[in-house]
Amino acid sequence: MPRFFSNKRLIILLVGVIVLVALIAFSLRDRNHANVPEQAVKDVVGFGQSLVTKPAHFVTGLIENIDTMLNTYEENKRLKERLETYAAMQAELVDVKANNVKLRGIIDKQEDLRAFEPIHSTVISRNPDQWEEKIIIDKGTTAGVDVNMAVMTAQGLIGKVILSTPFTSTVELISTENSDFRVAAMVVGEEEMFGLIEGYDRTSGQLIMKRLDSSFNVKKGMQVISSGLGGIFPKGILIGEVTEVSTDDYGLTKLAYIKPAATFSQLDHVMIAKRTMTVVDGTDGGNSADAKGDDES
Amino acid sequence: MIRFIIPLIAVLLFFLEPIFSLFSPIDINDNLYITVPRFLIVYLIFIATYYNSKRAIIYGFVLGLLYDMYHIDIIGLYTFMYPLICYVAALVIRQIERHIVTVMVLSVVMIVLLELLSYFFASVIALTSIDFGEFFTNRLVPTMIANALFIVMFGYMFKQITEKRFFQKQAGF
Repeated sequence: MPRFFSNKRLIILLVGVIVLVALIAFSLRDRNHANVPEQAVKDVVGFGQSLVTKPAHFVTGLIENIDTMLNTYEENKRLKERLETYAAMQAELVDVKANNVKLRGIIDKQEDLRAFEPIHSTVISRNPDQWEEKIIIDKGTTAGVDVNMAVMTAQGLIGKVILSTPFTSTVELISTENSDFRVAAMVVGEEEMFGLIEGYDRTSGQLIMKRLDSSFNVKKGMQVISSGLGGIFPKGILIGEVTEVSTDDYGLTKLAYIKPAATFSQLDHVMIAKRTMTVVDGTDGGNSADAKGDDES
Repeated sequence: MIRFIIPLIAVLLFFLEPIFSLFSPIDINDNLYITVPRFLIVYLIFIATYYNSKRAIIYGFVLGLLYDMYHIDIIGLYTFMYPLICYVAALVIRQIERHIVTVMVLSVVMIVLLELLSYFFASVIALTSIDFGEFFTNRLVPTMIANALFIVMFGYMFKQITEKRFFQKQAGF
């Protein structure tokens, strides 16, 4: 049996461990900003990644198409039933929208929390060692994507941008364990019931909405949307549906479990919501402390 | 030609890993199972076994650094773990026969070691709060099964390619 570590190797290993610890400490300090070499690596690797990912999306898309084709008959039957109510709803929606514009004109209110510019983007990769729920998309600051913007699919909110380089952005999904990830949300009922989405229950796959006033009458099955009061997200992005209501640890406020409307696996196309109204740093932004530091300096 | 194929496959596997992780987590009976694709390290172990262990460590270092910068945003985790795993694999393979089946088994064992190391680091840096039991059932076992499938499917091909390059190099190309 040869000697496990010769002297030289032992020294290399020790130096390696020291460098490793130093590097980890250095990069942990400031994870929400990428310096120039990091940005360059991200852009170059991201370019190569999108060359490989886009054909892969094409293939999975084909398979999905075949899959949906097999279910066409069933689906068609179901959709036909819904189509009848759809026409009536459509007419009503057009009427309400027109009315809304007219009323806004009367009170002279131009800005709207709901308004946002959508930026369409393709998901090119997901953090392979899934300790953190992160995906990388192929649009960056050159396309107007910036940190803290809301990211959604056609089904609903999925996360927010936490880092952006010129040609890629990193998105943290809402199903994260990170407790700094908050979304100002509201339950839609007869009145608007405001709360904060804080945390994710991994075992049941549900979001937890906290700080709902105990006087609010939250019921199972109600829909939850973003409230726009967090400062960054636009108002009205669908988040999910209330499945369970209980009180928090101290019994002062209510706590609701929310089944997310969007699915977090097999993401391919996402939309980034660039709010048209002024952005302020509120609860939606995870980098509040950093932003304050920037202001002072 | 084959000279460039060896690093090319490594880069391709590096790009394939995040695509496969888009399918995870897998939902079976309302239980979420996380499978982590570890294709690159399997290939590096095959390089270390049949071709050149030093080369494997260098590839591991470079690709680990890219992995850290691109995906994790913490520099130093995979930059350290990939070369370490290659080194340990090279040490072990010196003691045993280089039969394809033993190398396949060794790759699975090394994936387990890598997962354990990665879990250790993730809990130290507080990226995760799951306990060991949950880690074992929801992450380690599915990852092992998925990667074992990958190894069985591509192990023979990896062996052919790396061995071919080794003999070529010995012949003096």
